[in-house]
Amino acid sequence: MTAFDANWSLMTPEIVLAALALLVFTIDFMTGIHGKKPFIGRLSVLSLLVTAVLVVVTNSTSGSIAEVFVVDPFAMVFKLIILIGVAMVILISMNFLDRERNAEVYQGEYYSIMLFAALGAMIMVSSADLITLFIGLEILSISSYVLAGFKKYSRPSTEAAIKYVVLGGTASAFILYGMSFLYGLTGSTSLLEIGQAIPMLFEEYTFVVMMSFLFMLAGFGFKISIVPFHMWAPDVYEGAPTPVTAFLSVVSKLAGFGIILRVFFLGFGGVYQEWAFIIAVIAAITMIAGNFIALTQTNVKRLMAYSGIAQAGYLLVPVATVVGDVGINMIVFYSVAYLMMTLGAFAVITLVTEDTGTSDLSSFAGLYQRAPYLAIAMTVFLVSLAGLPLTAGFIGKAYIFFGAVAGEMLWLAIIMIVTSVISFFYYFGFIKQMFMTDPRPNDKELAVPGSMQTVVTVSLAVTVILGILPGLVLDIFNTFNWMAFF
Amino acid sequence: MIQNAWLIPVFPLIAFLILLFIGRFLKEKASYVGIAALALSFIVSVLVLFERIGGETYTFVIEWITFGESTITMGYEVTALNAMMLIVVTLVSLVVHIFSREYMHDDNRIHVFYSYLGLFSFSMLGLVLAPNVLQLFIFWELVGLCSFLLVGFWYFKPEAAAAAKKAFLTTRIGDVGLLLGLVILFNQTGSFDYGVIYAAVENGLINDTLITATALLIFLGAVGKSAQFPLHVWLPDAMEGPTPVSALIHAATMVAAGVYLVGVMYPLFLASSTAMTVVAYTGAITAFFAATMALVMTDIKRVLAYSTISQLGFMILALGTAGYVAGLFHLMTHAFFKALLFLGAGSVIFAVHHRQDIRDMGGLWSKMKITSVTFLIGALAIAGVFPLAGFWSKEEILASALLNGDGFLFAIALITAFMTAFYMFRLFFKTFTGEYRGGDHDDPHADDPRVDAYGAADVAEADNPRDESMDKEAHVPPAEDHGHHHSPEENSGFMTLPLIVLASLAVVAGLVNLPFMGYPLEGFLTEGLNLGSQPHGALWLAILSLAVAGSGIALAWAMYYKGAIAEDFFAKKAPGVHNLLLNKYYLDEIYTAVFVRPTVAIGRFFWEMDKSIVDGMVNLIGRSTSSTGRSFGRRHNGQLQTYGLVSILGGIVVIALAFVLRGYFG
Repeated sequence: MTAFDANWSLMTPEIVLAALALLVFTIDFMTGIHGKKPFIGRLSVLSLLVTAVLVVVTNSTSGSIAEVFVVDPFAMVFKLIILIGVAMVILISMNFLDRERNAEVYQGEYYSIMLFAALGAMIMVSSADLITLFIGLEILSISSYVLAGFKKYSRPSTEAAIKYVVLGGTASAFILYGMSFLYGLTGSTSLLEIGQAIPMLFEEYTFVVMMSFLFMLAGFGFKISIVPFHMWAPDVYEGAPTPVTAFLSVVSKLAGFGIILRVFFLGFGGVYQEWAFIIAVIAAITMIAGNFIALTQTNVKRLMAYSGIAQAGYLLVPVATVVGDVGINMIVFYSVAYLMMTLGAFAVITLVTEDTGTSDLSSFAGLYQRAPYLAIAMTVFLVSLAGLPLTAGFIGKAYIFFGAVAGEMLWLAIIMIVTSVISFFYYFGFIKQMFMTDPRPNDKELAVPGSMQTVVTVSLAVTVILGILPGLVLDIFNTFNWMAFF
Repeated sequence: MIQNAWLIPVFPLIAFLILLFIGRFLKEKASYVGIAALALSFIVSVLVLFERIGGETYTFVIEWITFGESTITMGYEVTALNAMMLIVVTLVSLVVHIFSREYMHDDNRIHVFYSYLGLFSFSMLGLVLAPNVLQLFIFWELVGLCSFLLVGFWYFKPEAAAAAKKAFLTTRIGDVGLLLGLVILFNQTGSFDYGVIYAAVENGLINDTLITATALLIFLGAVGKSAQFPLHVWLPDAMEGPTPVSALIHAATMVAAGVYLVGVMYPLFLASSTAMTVVAYTGAITAFFAATMALVMTDIKRVLAYSTISQLGFMILALGTAGYVAGLFHLMTHAFFKALLFLGAGSVIFAVHHRQDIRDMGGLWSKMKITSVTFLIGALAIAGVFPLAGFWSKEEILASALLNGDGFLFAIALITAFMTAFYMFRLFFKTFTGEYRGGDHDDPHADDPRVDAYGAADVAEADNPRDESMDKEAHVPPAEDHGHHHSPEENSGFMTLPLIVLASLAVVAGLVNLPFMGYPLEGFLTEGLNLGSQPHGALWLAILSLAVAGSGIALAWAMYYKGAIAEDFFAKKAPGVHNLLLNKYYLDEIYTAVFVRPTVAIGRFFWEMDKSIVDGMVNLIGRSTSSTGRSFGRRHNGQLQTYGLVSILGGIVVIALAFVLRGYFG
């Protein structure tokens, strides 16, 4: 049996995280339902960090378990992104959950479900087999549905969860349908085998292969919220608890990009020329629609949803323009930048909207006078999202932009840069509120809890350092043979 | 010293960091930190210049990142051009730092002001020292950001906040072109280094279409930054910033960065005659239109702002007609006399309690001797009167327009020179001669930022008692305490010394490129560059340009000093034109209608599509599904099914389109 001969140690981080998630869950119901339990939050963060260390230790050499569960630089980096992302989301949540008004939220469940979501995402980016991949995806998705409805006495939150479940289910159906075509054609669920067979099959069964591709694109497109599969995002983002919104817009989205790369590059890499153009068109529409609609939004969470849609468009550009490792370099670098600037921004948004009790843009009024450090940090995150120099967001965008020009897709590059200029308008809306408006009468100085301070400081440091010295990570990425696990 | 040129931007950066962290404890003393830093930078710049005059270009770079095959470097470079720019930037910045100590004295956020000035000086010097165009772009954006911060410094004035945003976003349009242009260049040459790009252009490695395209795209960046037509609309509004900022950023340094950019990319422009023509005509049109608007403005700073746009147009015109040295020479002389004029205006505005309307000034000659005399020198210099700095550089621009341009360009340049002399002396006579008109009536045109400021601060204070800084600001004596009823007086040495320094430079700066001395600046700037011969004018041209300047001054004298011609003579003759000029050719209105509204409308359109059109479509098609969805439907406005259906329909549309477009059916 190959299963017993396989190198199971490759899965150490996942096994450990699963055990720790169960531990967190158990400790929670051993300690009673109510009351503040910050130690569970800390334990969860610790679990994620331990897992992250294990990822670095056990996943630094490539390998695979029967070419189903694979470990390569791609999996390792994406797992680190996921783990750090979830850890930061939990740090943002701790303050949110500790508040009096959210006393009905069962903290232990929240934390353990977060950990399970991380586990699902990790399995997802480590799979080279359609079945494993789908299982990982569903662990992540189902956890996300529960998280979206976590404020169960709040109508918007419940509504968001129901929308998310139904539409997420639809998307999963799309993906499965697409996968079934592939299985029907090749008789295999292994991406490697599918990848080898695709060029020949394409000659013979063009229609079915493209059908399969497009169905999967629709399903994955839902997960990463690209136009026209984005409609759920603003509603769900607005209704879900703010830290969960942060989770959805960062961890869930980036993990989605992870599998898109895995499936499209490994499985459909042989017919790249056939689908690159479709992706380019979708990227263009996504950047245009996301940025333009964001202009009209005044609700911070909806605005961030559309901003996140636009950012997904940027991330899609290298998928369409650059083949192979250099393209993955770009996506991974921008993912790191996106993780930091978006989570940093969401930390500030959570704090401000919770404090003022509204998620209208005006809740940011006079933030500079209420909490100067937060206002300055938020400004850095926003200009990074918009793409001003000396931030990680600029380097990431410039890199993607170079790729698009070099890949002879000048029109896509132009759309990218023009829409990113448009994004300045709505990001400046925040800056104007924070610096050029006086605080509302009852808004006092804003106290920043330690956990939030940590998230903001880490995000700020990484955003600025990678903006000035991108070589620190790019030089490492350049040495990677991203998907070489065999 | 030339190896240590990196110190030049580092001093202001240190000042910025010091003020960022402990500025609030230093308060007024913050100014000394800034002044000291800029003094050091200036000294190093002078040493570097002397070493560069006798020596060679010095370059120091380190590897920054590797993109695929190409390595991008960062570092610094001292060429002839940027050695000159370093002097201009550090000197103007230094005098502005000194001037601001008094000018911003009453402002409670003076330490913030100085920290922004430090950050700006750092960025501008970084831009100048950049050895490649990507690094230039990074600092280019950074100076834009500093401009945003400083224009919006009095953010409690709604106009200032709006102007800051407008300035930043308008220049971004140009930046799109610049970034696109430099990425295409990078794609063609594999490098951002000036040297590599020059070599690639000279060796014909880039085809002609691409050279023209990249040159025009890069020029678009210059158009935005140097406020050229049609992107000039932000600069007059940027006058909402404190006056020393206008002198430093919006007259002498940042707005000249566009001209500098064309200068450093000059071999690329020379390789495309189309690009050169576009550059020349953009410059000429800008110079002309801006000058016409300057004729009718009544705000002292706005006149100077339009004058700046017009003069930048002159420089661009020179560069577009192969007058490399002429354009850059004028950049330098203009930096001195325009900074002088702005600071002079600042001195006046300060003395008349923050009023800016020249209809409320007058008669300041006897009250403010130093300001008046230095302002007169600046006005003579910009009008191009012999032997001041402006005469020499403007004459070279005229020569270049005449010899390498066409009759039209030359005529425009001459007319503009006439208008320049006229509006500058209109400004001078209205401000300094006649009777003081701001004395004893409550002025209807008052535009006092501080009165607004304190008004806003009072409200904030009442709302927000914790805020100490606001609290103190409210105790600062507003303009009323200085007394509207006191007549204006000359300001202290902090304000007059910079005026004297700049006035001396406005007199002598022309000497560096004297014809009788064999054009030393030209030799310095063109050494090692293959730019062809530089145009020089004959004696008759100099006499013609003097006559033009003289007649402009004479007309202004007749109208605004002597009263031989009524002040509203032309306004009455051609009220339509006068109105058109007063309304700045309605460009702001046109832009709002043509660009801003449609952009918002497109946003609304997509948004409506997301919301309602999709709803309607689904209601139409999806009646049949309503029975299953009814239970959800009532609670969720049917949106859930809508989204699901849209996802499915979207999927089908994408699939159908892909199949039709890519021909998978056949």
